[in-house]
Amino acid sequence: MRRTYSAFAWIIAGGVVVQAASIAFALGGIGRYVQDGGVIDKALVESRQATFTGDLGFPIHGIVGGMVIPLAAVALLIIAFFVKARGARKWAGIVLALVALQITLGYSIVDMPYLGLVHGANALAVLLASVYAARRIRRSATAGAEKTAADAIAT
Amino acid sequence: MPSRPDLVRRVAAGVALTGALGLGALGWGSTLLGEYSVMDMGGGQAGHVHNGATGPGAASTVSVTGLIADPLRAPDVRIELVARCQTIDIPGGRPVEGYTVNGTSPGPTIRARQGDLVEAVFVNESVAAGATLHWHGVDVPNEADGVAGITQDAVPVGGRHVYRFTADDAGTYWYHSHQVSHEQVGGGLLGAVVIDPAAPPSNQHDADAVALLHVYGGQHTLNGRVQDEHVPAGPGTAVRVRVINTDQGTAAVWSAAPIRVAATDGHDVNGPAAVEGRKVLIPAGGRLDVTVQAPAHGSARLHVGGARSITIGDPGSGAPPSRQPSDTLDLLAYGEPAPLGFDPQSPDRTFDYVIGRRLGLIDGRPGNFWTINGQLFPDVPMFHVRQGDVVHMRIVNESGEVHPMHLHGHHVVVLSRDGIPASGSPWWVDSLDVHPGETYEIAFVADNPGIWSDHCHTLPHAVDGLVAHVMYEGVTTPFTINGGAGNQPE
Repeated sequence: MRRTYSAFAWIIAGGVVVQAASIAFALGGIGRYVQDGGVIDKALVESRQATFTGDLGFPIHGIVGGMVIPLAAVALLIIAFFVKARGARKWAGIVLALVALQITLGYSIVDMPYLGLVHGANALAVLLASVYAARRIRRSATAGAEKTAADAIAT
Repeated sequence: MPSRPDLVRRVAAGVALTGALGLGALGWGSTLLGEYSVMDMGGGQAGHVHNGATGPGAASTVSVTGLIADPLRAPDVRIELVARCQTIDIPGGRPVEGYTVNGTSPGPTIRARQGDLVEAVFVNESVAAGATLHWHGVDVPNEADGVAGITQDAVPVGGRHVYRFTADDAGTYWYHSHQVSHEQVGGGLLGAVVIDPAAPPSNQHDADAVALLHVYGGQHTLNGRVQDEHVPAGPGTAVRVRVINTDQGTAAVWSAAPIRVAATDGHDVNGPAAVEGRKVLIPAGGRLDVTVQAPAHGSARLHVGGARSITIGDPGSGAPPSRQPSDTLDLLAYGEPAPLGFDPQSPDRTFDYVIGRRLGLIDGRPGNFWTINGQLFPDVPMFHVRQGDVVHMRIVNESGEVHPMHLHGHHVVVLSRDGIPASGSPWWVDSLDVHPGETYEIAFVADNPGIWSDHCHTLPHAVDGLVAHVMYEGVTTPFTINGGAGNQPE
């Protein structure tokens, strides 16, 4: 279970990396498209026919951020209840709360573009929290195993 | 060998899992639509009836197929329109696979004079899913509305359908398929309709140009070309540019020169003032007639949509592009007030059309769907009216995206937005952008019997459930959706 817990935490951390990469890819593509005389407006967006390099970044950002990461965060919390390690639930809860905040911010950016500043910063919080959750559970697992071994020798 | 309590636990878990799966399958299955008729939709009461006009009481019923223009009158304008699935040549751009009408997209512009009887013979040569023609903005008799599964069956390959209507209101309109419309309209099965006034218009202009906007395969076009256009005009000449937004999203129109909004959705604006330093927005499906005066020297540039523009004036001179203004003209307070022709303050019916969004299943398909009055399609309201009713509708957008709401067969007048009453010219529309958080109060007279779609014209939104109907008492339809005729209006 510790291994699964750790794996899901790493999936979330990896997801954050994909998020940063995909949105940079998409924005770079927009810059290039506009520079070459392309026009992005509501007509193009709603036609779902945009064909510039990087446009794939948007659906990737949407799917990973709207589905993969939140599902992994929920799974992490569920798994945490089967892991016998102190703080596993607490850190899974923190990760899930940060992810929930991140999604809310993401869906509200169009209404309040300034939220984008928090969305970018909070991404780092999600990354750090999920990496910490993944590492601490493996560390405590190792510590626990060493302790068991030490106890065995002592006995 | 598992112990007894273990066995009990396992059996219990198995039963629970089977039950959960069974219930899930049942829930999923209950969302499947199968073949259905709009007659069976709208179980719940959608609105309030005033003045005692309640209850069933229609002794006679009429089918939508009987709601037709004078069958004995000879047509004044007759045109054959042939739909094909083929490669569309895009001058200035790259060709795309799509749909044409008489070999081109956009198809031919239909021009008629007010009062003319128009007869369009529609032939489907090769559109595999079937096709129809809907006369967007023209208040046609219901039989000619062209909505597959409601007013007709989709015309199969090799089939034909005759549309007849009287061109009662002068203005700018368009036609497009209303079968698998999100795909066929996007693919180019469309064209312009211009109805010239019987008498010279109040908003005088000397010349006239159509500016039909459409995105083909990511390419912004003006009248089917990835090119700007020029309208030659002598100094001081007023040119009426009829901008038609056939796309799925709002288009902006602006110019560094003063412009006037002569008409919205085929209805003239009363006393339009000069617009300077502001853009004017056209909802998806909407039209805007703009008059631009050719300058004394050179030409004026009118930006239509984000990508294309039209220069008006001296053919020898260009005009530099101008920056898109950040301010938007508010049509709620544009032009001079004028009588509406009916009293919207004492409506016979009052309806709410509240747009939301939530996760759910439509036709077994999971997704984040639009809701109307909190319900997912097909459990959306049916707006029941009686001929002659004054109808009051409150459209509320509680979702995060703009929705261009389009009512078939009628024009509605905007009464207020977010509680601020309309103070300019009567703002008549058939396509109205309702932005997130906005509430519009609109009114119309139920003067065109039938069953009429009232949907979002960002057409993929209609696929995702943003479609309801106005149904007149005593009107029935023999057509069905998802049946043997393959009707899929959205």
